[in-house]
Amino acid sequence: MEQSVDIKAINERIKEESSFVDLLTMEMNKVIVGQKHLVEGLLIGLLSDGHILLEGVPGLAKTLAINTLATIVDAKFSRIQFTPDLLPADLLGTMIYSQKKEEFIVKQGPIFTNFVLADEINRAPAKVQSALLEAMQERQVTIGETTYPLEEPFLVMATQNPVEQEGTYPLPEAQVDRFMLKLVLDYPKKDEEQMIIRHNLAKTFPKASCILKPEDIIRARQVVKDVYMDEKIEKYIVDITFATRYPEQYGLEKFKDMISFGASPRASISLSMASKAFAFIKRRGYVIPEDVRAICHDVLRHRIGLSYEAEANNVTSEEIISEILNQVEVP
Amino acid sequence: MNKNSTIYWLMSSFLMLVLLCSSHGISAQNVTVSAKMDSTIIFIGGQIDLKLQLSQPEELELAFPLLTDTITGNIEIVRMNDLDTLSKENGRLLIEQNYRITSFDSGLHFVPPIVFEQASEKLGQVIQTEPMALMVVNPFEEVDPQKGIVDIKRPQDTPFHLSELYKYLPWVLGLLLLSGIVTFIALKFFGKDVPVRIFKKEEPIIPPHQRALDELERIKLEKLWQSNRVKDYYSGVTDTLRHYIEERFEIGAMEQTTDEIMESFKGVDVRDVKSIENLKQILLTADLVKFAKHEPLPDENDLSMINAYFFVNQTKEEEMKTLEEEKEEMLKSEQNEAVKE
Repeated sequence: MEQSVDIKAINERIKEESSFVDLLTMEMNKVIVGQKHLVEGLLIGLLSDGHILLEGVPGLAKTLAINTLATIVDAKFSRIQFTPDLLPADLLGTMIYSQKKEEFIVKQGPIFTNFVLADEINRAPAKVQSALLEAMQERQVTIGETTYPLEEPFLVMATQNPVEQEGTYPLPEAQVDRFMLKLVLDYPKKDEEQMIIRHNLAKTFPKASCILKPEDIIRARQVVKDVYMDEKIEKYIVDITFATRYPEQYGLEKFKDMISFGASPRASISLSMASKAFAFIKRRGYVIPEDVRAICHDVLRHRIGLSYEAEANNVTSEEIISEILNQVEVP
Repeated sequence: MNKNSTIYWLMSSFLMLVLLCSSHGISAQNVTVSAKMDSTIIFIGGQIDLKLQLSQPEELELAFPLLTDTITGNIEIVRMNDLDTLSKENGRLLIEQNYRITSFDSGLHFVPPIVFEQASEKLGQVIQTEPMALMVVNPFEEVDPQKGIVDIKRPQDTPFHLSELYKYLPWVLGLLLLSGIVTFIALKFFGKDVPVRIFKKEEPIIPPHQRALDELERIKLEKLWQSNRVKDYYSGVTDTLRHYIEERFEIGAMEQTTDEIMESFKGVDVRDVKSIENLKQILLTADLVKFAKHEPLPDENDLSMINAYFFVNQTKEEEMKTLEEEKEEMLKSEQNEAVKE
């Protein structure tokens, strides 16, 4: 059924509410040299209420990026270094006995914040990963008999090191699916790295200013939800998701044996939410196929299970997504 | 005649009678053998059949001689058939064995009696065939070394006859049938229809621009935007153009967004740059209509259709005319000019 949508009104609202986007990007760029994709991904995650999984070698400004974002938004930030001996209580909090009050009191863990950097998430055992991912999904934590809602906005940025795999606990597929985006970070360009050297030698690190309040983000999220998505775009998203499950129906028979499982319905939801956020960043009150394609790799790359055959043939999920985008008809 | 001589005569007569009776026993066996050749004269290297026949009582078990590869030094056995029982009448058997023989030495050759050794041993008498003679003729001229050395004669050419191919016919037919079956299975396996073009009338090839123009005409006649189906109208126009771009420029426009299509045209040599601008106008307007509920003015709708026609006409591939068609056109124009004058 066609909804009555006033695109002009949405466009007007977006113009008003998205004015911070340029400012936020500018502030981020003051501190982070290069890594535009990371900054854009953070913004999409923030606006579409999704969490981000980051993959990249150490030293690519992952911590700095989320720290800067927390500064710009005037939000609380925690960094948790995941280690093999980490316990769920170290993350969520626990009940401790207060001798003064002669009772058990709740000691909240570092997860009670706005922005969490879960560094090297795959170094911690499954029970800690589960605790974090459950909190991410439910937006609340139960300690003892009391349930505590997490603060809004709540954004988790977890990192994974693609190089060292020894002594790690790879995230199960079901857990990975809870991350809206998986960003793959690359090294900076030559001129960018030159700039990084200069900043470090001169010890003149630019500081980001606080330009936003958490309430602004919550308000912007509402506008993002209202971004118009036509039925044709919905069908396009569904087609892309289905192509990961049944590639043979989209003329991609060669991938039939290479995909052990396709993207889940959560992927379709994430794809539509992230597309809306991307349209918002581009100051548009409606989603166009370009928006879907722009974020498609980030949304789907961790949601496609590759078979042994794909690994033997060095076929990556990136290649599969690119082929799907080249094969699925654009509305 | 005295008594002794009478006794002697009687005893001799008795002995003779016993001997006669015993000889009658051997002849009662009545085992006869014969050897017969098809001909007594052959050319050198020619082949004839030698038949060995054995006629014997049914109860006897007699073996044929074991001839391997020669009968004599000059006569060779080419092939040997199995034993064949020809008749079984009156308690007698007539057994035959055929030998294909040849000889490569000219002259008159003596074929010695062929002894049935096992039968001879059993019956206590020599069972053998009659001796024969075989004349082997050399039809070629004798080489006379006195005449000097001459070249070796080349093999003679024999006229080709179709019957020579008959023996290959089953193989050829079998191979054709097999390849047909394999092709059929392969086509079925890969999901393609078995081509039966020989029964199909070849369809005329419609150039992409013609197909696009026909489609645009159809959309125009449907009066979609006039009946408030603006989205369908723009979807139809853009799909037609994207199909045309795909066929004409080999750009995967159906799987590309507006920006990507415009980007793809950067590497294409288009005669009229304005036509690309027109395409951009159509695609951008269509995006707004399709994805942003934009309602263009009637003039905009008409402009999009005009631009679509313009784009197709400006970018269509030039048709190559044959020399005859050009001549015909020239003649027509000359005739028209003559009429005017």
